[in-house]
Amino acid sequence: MTAYILRRLWQMVPTMLGVVILVFFLFNWVGGDPAYVLAGKISNQEQIDNIRRQLGVDQPYWVQLWIFIKQIVTGDFGASWSTNERIGSIILTRLPPSLTVLVPLTILDLLVSVGLALAVAYVRGSLTDRAVMIVCTVGLSISILVYIIVFQYVFAYKLGWFPVQGWGDSFWENLVRYSSLPILIGLTVSIAPSLRLYRTFVLDEINQDYVRTARAKGLSENRIMWIHVLRNASIPIITNVMASLPGLLIGAFLIERFFSIPGIGREVILAVERSDFPVIKAITVYVAVATMVFNLLADLMYKAVDPRVQLR
Amino acid sequence: MNRTRLARAGRAIALAAAVFATSALAAPDMNKVIREVFPAAETGFDPAAVHDLYSGTIVQGIFETLYSYDYLARPAKVVPLTADGMPQITDSGRTWTVKLKKGIRFADDPAFGGKARELTAEDYVYSLKRLIDPKLRSPWAFLVEGKFVGLDELAAKAKASGSFDYDAKIPGIEALDRHTIRFRLKATDYNLPYILAHEPTAAVAREVIAKYAEVDGRAQANPVGTGPYRLVRWVRSSKIFLEANPHFRGFTWDFVSDDPADAPLIREMKGKSMPAVGRVEISIIEEDQARLLAFQNGEIDIMNMEGPLAPKVLDGANLRPEMKAKGVKLSRQIDPEISYTYWNMQDPVVGGLTREKVALRRAMAMSYDVAEEIRVIRNGQAIEANFPIPPGVVGHDPAWKPGITHDPAGANALLDRFGYKRGADGWRTLPDGKPLVVKLSSRPDTLGRQQDELWKKSLDRVGIRMDVHKDKFPELIKAEKQCKLQMRVAAWIADYPDGDNFMQLLYGPNTFQSNNACAKIPEFDRLYEKSVAIPPGPERDALYREMTKVMEAYAPWRLMISRYRNMLVQPRVQGYRRHPILRAHWMYVDVAGPAAGR
Repeated sequence: MTAYILRRLWQMVPTMLGVVILVFFLFNWVGGDPAYVLAGKISNQEQIDNIRRQLGVDQPYWVQLWIFIKQIVTGDFGASWSTNERIGSIILTRLPPSLTVLVPLTILDLLVSVGLALAVAYVRGSLTDRAVMIVCTVGLSISILVYIIVFQYVFAYKLGWFPVQGWGDSFWENLVRYSSLPILIGLTVSIAPSLRLYRTFVLDEINQDYVRTARAKGLSENRIMWIHVLRNASIPIITNVMASLPGLLIGAFLIERFFSIPGIGREVILAVERSDFPVIKAITVYVAVATMVFNLLADLMYKAVDPRVQLR
Repeated sequence: MNRTRLARAGRAIALAAAVFATSALAAPDMNKVIREVFPAAETGFDPAAVHDLYSGTIVQGIFETLYSYDYLARPAKVVPLTADGMPQITDSGRTWTVKLKKGIRFADDPAFGGKARELTAEDYVYSLKRLIDPKLRSPWAFLVEGKFVGLDELAAKAKASGSFDYDAKIPGIEALDRHTIRFRLKATDYNLPYILAHEPTAAVAREVIAKYAEVDGRAQANPVGTGPYRLVRWVRSSKIFLEANPHFRGFTWDFVSDDPADAPLIREMKGKSMPAVGRVEISIIEEDQARLLAFQNGEIDIMNMEGPLAPKVLDGANLRPEMKAKGVKLSRQIDPEISYTYWNMQDPVVGGLTREKVALRRAMAMSYDVAEEIRVIRNGQAIEANFPIPPGVVGHDPAWKPGITHDPAGANALLDRFGYKRGADGWRTLPDGKPLVVKLSSRPDTLGRQQDELWKKSLDRVGIRMDVHKDKFPELIKAEKQCKLQMRVAAWIADYPDGDNFMQLLYGPNTFQSNNACAKIPEFDRLYEKSVAIPPGPERDALYREMTKVMEAYAPWRLMISRYRNMLVQPRVQGYRRHPILRAHWMYVDVAGPAAGR
């Protein structure tokens, strides 16, 4: 096991290098020269050159790339070009609000989708199954923007059940008062694709011989579904969940913008709008690392839930 | 020694007297809160460093400039703020002496070691020098560059040595004593009071910058000023909380106005001790719908109604009945800005001063229907800009009859006359028979696309083929400053409410800086140079009219619009009137009753 983990960690190095090179050249190609914006409305070439020198964007590409690599190794990405805020502080202060919304959302999505998937798969082909699938297809076809606009208007403004926007100081206030509507919207959007996907995984298992054998042995349907079927369907479910976890680090920018949640998603958009390369590259690197780590964790979890899986 | 003691005692007495005078005014009510919204995130609060509107608004509330603007006077009128009266001008407008009010205190901060810190002339000397310190890379360097005797030389030394010598004395900006500053200018410049009223020139304390400066010399997160409010909490890009500065000297609301519409406001506010509102809470809400719903829900007291939102709340120039029924007030004014399309005067196709190039630009300008832009793109929330200086700015001529108006038939005739013949495909060619294609550069956003379409439609009408070049904003600015774009829609909002701030946009030597048309029109330049040497008044206004005629004759620009700014105000807010330059209006308003909102 240890050897496997070490080998996987070692394999992350070339992957990371690829990410670094891709991010670096993409930004330099499409990112634009920030000096001209930072220089203000009236500026001359000398001032622009001075800014480029201070930001280091006047250096040859290979020097800039080397600095980028050193920043990754030391974990010090410097400060935002626009606000001077340290990148570490940006991530540490913006991540908690995003996680306050996204962690409960991910957990609720998993529990509700898996439960519903087991239920509709059990009655496969029935009117209920078909009705749920139609609702899911319709739900999938509607943009999240529509959900946000309608839910915010109806539930927050018209009915007054939630605040239109805002964020406070207390974790519980944020979770209960300010995150409820964003979580509800997130759930409405995410349940439909998750439910369809998990239903397919469950259906694959329901038709297996071991289910027939279990029924022949007289096991209860609850035990068959929740213990045997769910355990075997859990590998693709784990893959799906683990693949979505790095997304927690980049937040949900639309929800954050509409509900004024000071999360990492809004920060990413701001950084792109401002050509704030230090912020963009730091977040990209963190997400890349998180993706690789969560993939490794997913593999380890396969082994935990299914002893037949061999880690090589 | 005795003299020093006497001087200290004198300062202590003056400070005590100032504090005593201040205490005669009622303290702000800390239970009164006003809630405002910004549609974009702030970046920081160092006056020398920030250059976005919203950070600048906070800076106006926390820091103080020598001069400011009368709250109700229109066009905006400069009045003393920390200065004790208007400047004394000598030496044909080259030497300006400003006296500072005594006893003004900075808000308390650990940087002052627990002592009361009085605002002095040296604070302004230091703050103005910061604008040109290369390490700070201030976007406001242009405000002081080339103006003050000895300052450019000091900056040049800093570039060579890598460190700015703030202790070096220069004749251009001098503290004559603790409360007197003398400015010596390289050339006569009657705009100096406007510059001294602009928030980048506000006073910061050197100790505060020394304590909190980041690696590039900016102190973005710890603003400490002498103004009516101080920052108490900041959740970046989300919330800004201000509280009344207990050391602010306060004032009595005593503004007057010629506008009869201001009478109720004056009745409501006259004689009140200001600031009356103890706390200011600002939320950053980027999305239009969220902002509007938050206002309608009573979560916000004052908000700007941008063009796309206007039809939801406004019926032309008035509030919709449902908003009126709620008691919502509207403060509406033309922003001190213009938008215009420029043609690059150095471009081989559209540039140059020859007759056929002038005819081409004039024809393109005449093809554009500004009224359609106002109706379709701006939802009626703009007026046609006829004069290069917008309303509310000194030098604006409301009676000006523009020389270029929407006239596609005239444009076609002009092109025919100067040899831009139509080919078999309907598109015109250059007089030498080569294809005529113009390229409009724009941003890949909604407004950019709408303007592309309107320009395309206009030029199609006169047979000129137009291509669109899309690029990111930084790249457009880069190409523009290098005179590499052919044609683009640009906008300019006043840094200070004087015509010079607009007329300089076409001054030849400002090419590669603010002159985005890269125009070098000798006649215009000569008139501009005359205009900067005389104070605002009828003589300068006459020059501005001459310059406008020259601009219309050569057509480097097509003037387009000036937008309305519609501020929605909850009924509980008293005394609010939108000012063209002042944005930190919290010190001029009061609130009655508790904050609403669910």
